[in-house]
Amino acid sequence: MSSLRVILLILIGAAAVPAIGQQFTSPPSSEGTSAATGTAPTPQVDESALRFFAAQGDNARLEAEMARLRALYPNWQPPKDLFSPTLDQDPDIARMWELFAQGKFSDIRAAIAQRQEAESGWQPPADLLTRLDEGEAARRLVNAAEAKQWASVLRIATETPGMLVCGNMDVLWRVAEAFVRTEAAARAKDVYAYILSTCPDPQERLATAQKAMQTLDGPELDALLALQRAKPDGTPEFASLDSDFLRTRVGRAAEDTTLTVSAEDIGALEQLARNGSTPDDALVLGWYTFRQGDAAKAVDWFKLALDRKGGASAAEGYVLALEGSGRALEAEPIAYQWRDAGADNRTAYIDLMAGLLSTSPPPRLDQSIVARFAPVVSQDKAAVGAQALGWYAYNTGQIPTAASWFRTAVQWAPEDEVSAYGLALSSMRLKDSATLDAIAATWAGKSERILALVSPATRRELAARAPASSPLPLPAASAPTPASRPAATAPSSAPAAPVPLNVAANDRLGGETTSRAPAPSAGRGRHACSGASDAAFRAGRISPEAAVARGWCLLDLDRPREAINAFDLGIGNGAGRTAEDAAYGKSLAYLRLGLTNQAQLAAVETAQPPARAVELSVDLLTQRAIAAYRDARYVEAILALDERNRLAPEEQDLMMIRAWSYFKLRDFASAGRIFKALRAAGYAEAGAGINAIMAVTRQWRS
Amino acid sequence: MISPEDWSAYGSRFIDPSGRVIDDANGNISHSEGQGYGMLLAFLAGDKASFERIWTFTRTELLIRDDGLAAWRWDPKADPHVTDINVASDGDILIAYALALAGRAWKVPDYEESATRIAKALGQQAIRREGGRLVLLPGVTGFSAEERPDGPVLNLSYWIFEAFPVLARLAPEVDWEGLAASGKELLSLARLGPAKLPPDWISAPSNGPLVPAEGFEPVFGYNSLRIVLYLLRAGITDTDVQKVVLDNWMVQNGGMPAIVNIPTGKALARLSEPGYRMLAATLACAIDGSAIPADLRRLQPSQYYPSTLYLLSLSLVGEKYPTCLR
Repeated sequence: MSSLRVILLILIGAAAVPAIGQQFTSPPSSEGTSAATGTAPTPQVDESALRFFAAQGDNARLEAEMARLRALYPNWQPPKDLFSPTLDQDPDIARMWELFAQGKFSDIRAAIAQRQEAESGWQPPADLLTRLDEGEAARRLVNAAEAKQWASVLRIATETPGMLVCGNMDVLWRVAEAFVRTEAAARAKDVYAYILSTCPDPQERLATAQKAMQTLDGPELDALLALQRAKPDGTPEFASLDSDFLRTRVGRAAEDTTLTVSAEDIGALEQLARNGSTPDDALVLGWYTFRQGDAAKAVDWFKLALDRKGGASAAEGYVLALEGSGRALEAEPIAYQWRDAGADNRTAYIDLMAGLLSTSPPPRLDQSIVARFAPVVSQDKAAVGAQALGWYAYNTGQIPTAASWFRTAVQWAPEDEVSAYGLALSSMRLKDSATLDAIAATWAGKSERILALVSPATRRELAARAPASSPLPLPAASAPTPASRPAATAPSSAPAAPVPLNVAANDRLGGETTSRAPAPSAGRGRHACSGASDAAFRAGRISPEAAVARGWCLLDLDRPREAINAFDLGIGNGAGRTAEDAAYGKSLAYLRLGLTNQAQLAAVETAQPPARAVELSVDLLTQRAIAAYRDARYVEAILALDERNRLAPEEQDLMMIRAWSYFKLRDFASAGRIFKALRAAGYAEAGAGINAIMAVTRQWRS
Repeated sequence: MISPEDWSAYGSRFIDPSGRVIDDANGNISHSEGQGYGMLLAFLAGDKASFERIWTFTRTELLIRDDGLAAWRWDPKADPHVTDINVASDGDILIAYALALAGRAWKVPDYEESATRIAKALGQQAIRREGGRLVLLPGVTGFSAEERPDGPVLNLSYWIFEAFPVLARLAPEVDWEGLAASGKELLSLARLGPAKLPPDWISAPSNGPLVPAEGFEPVFGYNSLRIVLYLLRAGITDTDVQKVVLDNWMVQNGGMPAIVNIPTGKALARLSEPGYRMLAATLACAIDGSAIPADLRRLQPSQYYPSTLYLLSLSLVGEKYPTCLR
């Protein structure tokens, strides 16, 4: 490939420079030898520089000049009398070439002007002027690159294409960089390809390969590496870069899950990681395996990276991987320890704790774990954390504390429905009807489940619809809510020691709510709860049909625990449609408790008729996806949504969960695609996702 | 018109072989303004070789911005040498003006082309409607109403009036005439404090009076003292600001330009160097016909800035007021 070829490629890519085609109206040669041997006349080659360098004994410059002339004029042969006494006797010109060799361009310009003053009409040799233009342009281009003026770099390159030759390697590299910085990586590849197919210097070739590796990937990089030559000893010239290439490949795949790497690559990097003593390779493998969904394996790599002082990123990965392996409690100490190492570590800690605390039933947590989380939440004004502390307090029966945390979360994130719902529920428990009514008024028309807390009519409506759509969302079942951080004061009390869920739930559900119990629903052929007395029920003296009716009734009253008992009776003693109905009711009751797995078990206790089975599965999978997302098990959330997708179309809010799951897994490409599609469909909340990706990816690459 | 002796004294002292004009009172840095002065003086001295030398440095080292204007600050001790990529728009005006003059007089189309490019870029980047006026922003970033609460912040000594008609021929789409008019209007309004002098850096918001700009010393100082020279060089002799400055220098400060505190009107320093005294003498010559004192008839190169002002003054007197040199 001749120098002109690469220039052409560069110019085509340089959108910053208009009217570049004009550069090619009179090319000094055509591309390639075959074309040049055809019709092109042999051009007049200016050999004065060559003769000057020969006379000076400057072999390096002599070689460079010969290479330059050969690139320009493929037919040209160096003169045989190169070392005979110079034909050019003009001492001024000799002096000018000497200045050129010293890079004293200003002196040459001054000397030319001086000579022209003394001798009107005098012209310096054309070659000297060309070389001077190129030398100045190269210097200017390098200065522009140093100042990050990339459009300027490309403009200078197009104005003086003659300098884009192997002898100006620094210029070629900077032009390539300018293309990268102006989002024209393909053009950068053309420059690297030109160097690797044309330029001979082994060090420069190696450095070029390294630069290409930093900016390109995939087939483009492979195509460049295919240009490598064999060293005199027969080994490929870039063999020393193999490990670097490997690391780069896997590292890219770790950041972008749409990329795949071969098992050999992984095996080779694993070997490097085990044999090495630095954390880097283990870290790359940790992220790679984690994002490929193998959290358990990722734990080991992150652990190795952390042990080798891999720092904040290793700690973050370790926390996420442990969490993803269902070992969130184990992750807590390390997450806490690294919470101040960086924004990502902070987020990892808060998300981990939010997941732990929001789990229903609440896990047994050491008091200190909860206590030390609260100040971090307050300091960061992390609404997600405040809300999680709210659910934890709520689920452990600490209703005033729950109300306090939910109130805080609402202050920090007024738009967050889940926090508002939590505050509404707590207020109801505390008989704080002023707060409850205020929240209901704020969310009127926006949240049916909040309205249902004060409106029996809404409750009936929702209950009637329940089987057809998602069941009433659970307290802790949160839609994804990227944490916003508005200002507010911190609550004063931390949650008290945990209380078993059953106690709290029964207390809650069997207590105050009854006083506000709505009239039993008339839908689905259910009967009033009074159809069977509590005493008869406890004694087991009740028909399966009555038990099922009682179950539906209790479910309507938002007393799912009791409803489960009733449905159990229906399953155990009933048959056919009664048993099916009971099993369906039991799954819905579990769903309402957030106990997705149990719901699924209940659903298979009897065979469901096909339509209902589908409906139920859709509900189950919806709940499973939401629960998995809430617990930061993002891979499972996506799997559940995939499964659900086979049964029913995905609604926009579930697509948001999917997108945020990809986001949490750092698969920004997939997340971005969904967010963009949603936004294009008018789903405004998707904008937050796009912004989050932009923020994170910038951070990621910086 | 600059004599070979004066020019040679200046060049050997302040211009290095690479064509860099050295601000020796300022850490030996160079800047776009100095390069522009150097090119203008080389043109006035008729020295094509030095012009080429200075232009080569300017082009390769400073004229590297994406927008076609010059980076303003170049430090020999720094790597990379350009330590502030922002623009000082008076530097670009001087460079374009010198190129335009030399291109026409010496018939070098390349110079005129380069001058045109800079003039157009100035029109796009630095000459804007701000605060209800057409203004010359001192830099491309950091001075506009959008970027500063007290913006736009202006430097009235960046209005090099003599250049505007020349650049108007090259970039007629830019309203150079309007810029000259707004400059004169601002000068008539900017006579602040008891001494009624224009501060170096002035805030000119749309909704309020002109005041010294925040973050700058509120002085009539080294920037503003060249305003009277620029006006004279553009053939303007009858402005109030010239009369006030003449009174301040000749009557109140014994023939010496002074740095004056705007809020108090008191002189903070009197500048006795020949280059600065030449400014006062030139003003007195133009307005009152006073002769240039004998000790100011040859360059006594002290420092870059006063020496530059000296040569610009002397060339003006020689051309327009030769009687003051008799």
